[in-house]
Amino acid sequence: MFWKLLSVVSNSSSPIVVVLSGSMEPAFQRGDILFLWNRFRQNKVGDVVVYEIVGKQIPIVHRVLREHHSLIKQLLLTKGDNNPVDDLGLYNYNQLYLNKDEDLLGTVFGYFPFLGYITILITENQYFKYALLGFMAITTLLGNE
Amino acid sequence: MFSIYQRGQYIVNFSLTLVGLISLFIVASSWAQLYTNNVFSIDSSISNVTPTANIKFSRRFGSSGGKPKENTKLIFDLDTDLTPLWNWNTKQVFIYLTVEYPGKKPESSNKVVYWDKIITDKNGANLTLSNELSKYSVWDVEESFRNREATVKLEWNIQPYVGPLVYGATLGKSEFIFPDVVQNSKKTKEKTKNSRNKNY
Repeated sequence: MFWKLLSVVSNSSSPIVVVLSGSMEPAFQRGDILFLWNRFRQNKVGDVVVYEIVGKQIPIVHRVLREHHSLIKQLLLTKGDNNPVDDLGLYNYNQLYLNKDEDLLGTVFGYFPFLGYITILITENQYFKYALLGFMAITTLLGNE
Repeated sequence: MFSIYQRGQYIVNFSLTLVGLISLFIVASSWAQLYTNNVFSIDSSISNVTPTANIKFSRRFGSSGGKPKENTKLIFDLDTDLTPLWNWNTKQVFIYLTVEYPGKKPESSNKVVYWDKIITDKNGANLTLSNELSKYSVWDVEESFRNREATVKLEWNIQPYVGPLVYGATLGKSEFIFPDVVQNSKKTKEKTKNSRNKNY
């Protein structure tokens, strides 16, 4: 319910994301939580945006390096602060820019450190997952309700 | 009548509320400090901006289908003191040299970054650079920069330990006109000729 409300307010399908890669270090590390806003009509150079390439379902958090806009359209080139080169190699073949209206999930406006590491543990560490499941099973068995 | 779940939930709720309140206090106090430091009017001097242009043919330089693409670089001097941006909620400051220039139509516009730097330490925030070469080789959506007028500025972004990102620009400003490609390189000439004749 809270998630849906946040989605509506921020106009983003995933208003809170967890950083999964180190390409924006030292600003954003793995497990940090980012809050997104998707109601800006245009993005500025320097904005940290989250985008998804058509056909690749991995959200990427990088900074806008260049923007070219007209009244109807905005093209963006992005780069990770910690990467030596821009994101051309991450885009689809023959894709030279991101389209602001089609590829962006949102713009990062807020930051909270580390708390998202729980989701990384659950998805990537099987022992943690089993431990969590086991703990839940034991507490339901022992609890007297 | 307390189950483990209820106790756990209470502890989690209580600690999350505390964390939220502490974060709010940290953000508010750091913003107050930014305003008292007048960070939105920090002086800077960007001078001796010298642009150069050449022709590239690789996809890594914005060319598609082997067509010639004009790329530009800058050499510049920069002098600014960004130490006021530091307080107890500043994790790093990302600074970037932006160049803004008009597009084809009056309502269209472009802004690109030629140089940027991550500063993680207050002691490294007093910058004096001379003859610094731009980090990026920049191309436009169009084939050429067409001798358009450009404005150079230095902007910054504070990435905090917790809370919203803060953006701003320094006061310094410089202007230049994009140059023509120097056509004295024999290789460039030949390549341009070839690409005109061949269809890749």
